[in-house]
Amino acid sequence: MASTSVNASTLLPLELVDKCIGSRIWVIMKNDKEIVGTLSGFDDYVNMVLEDVVEFENTPDGKKVTKLDTILLNGNHITMLVPGGEGPEV
Amino acid sequence: EMVNEKDDSQRKKKESIVDLSKFLDKKVRVKFQGGREATGVLKGYDQLLNLVLDGAVEHLRDAEDPTIIGDETRNLGLIVARGTAITVVAPSDGMEQIPNPFQNAEE
Repeated sequence: MASTSVNASTLLPLELVDKCIGSRIWVIMKNDKEIVGTLSGFDDYVNMVLEDVVEFENTPDGKKVTKLDTILLNGNHITMLVPGGEGPEV
Repeated sequence: EMVNEKDDSQRKKKESIVDLSKFLDKKVRVKFQGGREATGVLKGYDQLLNLVLDGAVEHLRDAEDPTIIGDETRNLGLIVARGTAITVVAPSDGMEQIPNPFQNAEE
């Protein structure tokens, strides 16, 4: 597709996310919100389906908001993904 | 000539304007929309500017004034940084924080 190619020896970001399917992943949003859940899957836009989710709000320092079941996380505001991450220290 | 320009823009539009291969295995500083900043060793990337950073550290902002990047950090480890949120990718030793040069000009 492109002339400026990525060598196969570099690690593709979305491949790393794909390897994380079935494991815990820690998602950091652009704002002060963070989400930890088990990754069921994601799409081209990195919208994510997560299970057993815990949501953390950083600033008010009442950190935890626990949700369960399955959520669809809108990928629009995702900044960083930490595969296998446990989330911010409580 | 105008037809050639149009052909060129169509032919070349998939090329990336940046080459991140020079940063591979180097420590880079990444800034995000929303004010977050992180540093880490660049291990991989794609056409959309998603990055893989190893040993990543987030530089935390001042609780009082979120525009200030303080000294506090937290370790994140191996992360994927979303290209859609990235504003700056620079070599880690290519920047330093300086006192506000505009502050005296106001007085």
